[in-house]
Amino acid sequence: MGQGSDLMETDRSDQPGSRLTARTATVVVLSLGVAVVLGDAGVVTLALPEILRDFGAQVWGVAWVLIAFNLVLALVAVPAARLCVRGDPAVATAGGVIGFAAATTVCAVAPSLGMLIAARAAQAAGGALVIVGSLELLVAAIGVERAGVRRWAVAGVAGAALGPVVGGLLTSAFSWRAIFVAQIPIVLLALPAAITLRGRVVQRRRPTLETSPDRPHLLANLALALLSAALTAALFLLVLLLVDGWSRSPAVAAVAVTAVPVAALAAGPVFRGVRAGTRSEAVAGSVLIAGGLTGLALLPGAALVWTLAPQILIGLGLGLSVDSLTAAALRDRIPRALHGGWTIAARHAGVVVGLVILTPIFTADLRHAQTPAEEAIASLVLDAPLPASTKLDLAEQLGRRLSAEQGRVPDLRPAFNALRVPETQAPAVATLERGLNDQFKRAATRAFRTSFLVAAGLALLALGPALTLRDRYRS
Amino acid sequence: MTRLALPLIAVVLVAAVLGVQLAAGGGHYVPLRPANPCEPRPVPPIPPQLEPLAEQIVLLGLDGAACRLGISRERLVLSLAESRALNPRQSAALKAGLSDAVDRLDREGRLPKVSQLLPQALDQANVPAIVKTIINAIPDSFIDNLLPTAPLLRQTVDGLDIDRLLRELDDPGKLDSALQSAILQAALRQIVDRLRP
Repeated sequence: MGQGSDLMETDRSDQPGSRLTARTATVVVLSLGVAVVLGDAGVVTLALPEILRDFGAQVWGVAWVLIAFNLVLALVAVPAARLCVRGDPAVATAGGVIGFAAATTVCAVAPSLGMLIAARAAQAAGGALVIVGSLELLVAAIGVERAGVRRWAVAGVAGAALGPVVGGLLTSAFSWRAIFVAQIPIVLLALPAAITLRGRVVQRRRPTLETSPDRPHLLANLALALLSAALTAALFLLVLLLVDGWSRSPAVAAVAVTAVPVAALAAGPVFRGVRAGTRSEAVAGSVLIAGGLTGLALLPGAALVWTLAPQILIGLGLGLSVDSLTAAALRDRIPRALHGGWTIAARHAGVVVGLVILTPIFTADLRHAQTPAEEAIASLVLDAPLPASTKLDLAEQLGRRLSAEQGRVPDLRPAFNALRVPETQAPAVATLERGLNDQFKRAATRAFRTSFLVAAGLALLALGPALTLRDRYRS
Repeated sequence: MTRLALPLIAVVLVAAVLGVQLAAGGGHYVPLRPANPCEPRPVPPIPPQLEPLAEQIVLLGLDGAACRLGISRERLVLSLAESRALNPRQSAALKAGLSDAVDRLDREGRLPKVSQLLPQALDQANVPAIVKTIINAIPDSFIDNLLPTAPLLRQTVDGLDIDRLLRELDDPGKLDSALQSAILQAALRQIVDRLRP
């Protein structure tokens, strides 16, 4: 261990100034490619209700649109990295870009849920090559290993954090299919960049192939997996709470959850003065993510503003820990692409584990939330300062709405719009409508509490491996 | 110390956010819990009209029935709305609860006199105009003496076909008619009892 970084370091002093712009463009498009592929892990989160409606599918089936991508990415990342190590990463990346773009095109026009899930799996397979290949290409393009790795990690963090936001906005503005249409040209930009770098990485890395690969950094990868499982709650459950629990539009939810990526990107500049190495950053990041998730479990109201501070904690923790742990997992280990593959496999296995653990918890809690919500509503209707005849009319309308929604948080407006009351009763009716909506929001918020707390527990578990890391920046 | 600075800042930030959230009621943002039906609920002022009086008796009656059945008033209402049928235990509990409600309002002096309820009842009743005129001509004191409110309501509750009322909840016309019929029969029984030597 140790020789890899020296061998792969590039001397930038002899690069002509005219190539700087081309190099910057190469770095930008490769970073965009990484961000798009890793953003795909959660990009469809806000689109799931629309996909469910379009295909008339079951919730569990639609969840596979999300799970299939992360599961295949977790399984394929390391084999894809081995492919990059054996061949030219530029060729592997180019092949991955073409495969990802083709699979994304199929996603955009998928006529059935089965086809969409299969195409998502193919997307992940192509995407794995793009991600691990881009790690080598970014280092080659930038010329400094640490900067290249950092750029790769930051692009991944930004993509993962921005994915649900961009997906939500595109779904609101156009449709869920627009999510995939928009990705195709962006990821294809990486194709000429990969072709340009053909041969450059292989020449620098080939001597190290004689040596056996370093073992993966188990603790850093374990911490990454646990934090990714916890972050699933932040990025997946929070949007579900906003859209399905609080009846916010996907566009509003998308804007609301931008606090996480903004804080993640701000973490570096904010903590620049006190950054003290891998361990302290990973520990601080785990504490911030666990604290933010606990904050989401203890929301005092259904106003979006209450989610901001917890989201900022999560974003700061994400920005501090993920790129720091990724750097720790890659530092001084060769082949670099293989270890990059391990970090991707760990992160996405964490996402899948997070989904598998948290989905049954919150769906069961949502089911159990129905009884207290119904009782609270019955209580408010019975005690409302309205004539008995109005209450009976309203109860009938509300019963219809609840039956129509089959356990989901209902939209009560049609029930109240159908109510014909004299002008004198209108203020009491309006107060009752607000009260009933508040009760549903309370029930939904309560239903997500256990899931957020379990996710916070997963983040705290990451403290174990994080504490065993060495503060390498200082030493 | 520098190594601890970042984790300490993280802990302080988390403590600040959680502290503000808990102080603002975080952790207590949950759905309204149903009140204990066995504890007397405060009763608002009842206008001297049939519908508010009937509503208040029904609400208090539901509390009494739920208390007897060992469930919340809300759970009882939801189960009745769902099944639209009563088992004998529920039926007995509802009748007992309604009687208790009349007793409580009577004890607290909140029951309006029948003479106060009569004009509205006559307006809603499907009786010939001549009958209304005759009844209106009867002095209030005579009516109140002949038909004290509490016994009239107790007899009404005794005569109620609660199963039928439940089935007709969605049809206000039939519901009113069933209630009026129960009140009328109770009134007639009471008048006959009074006039009997």
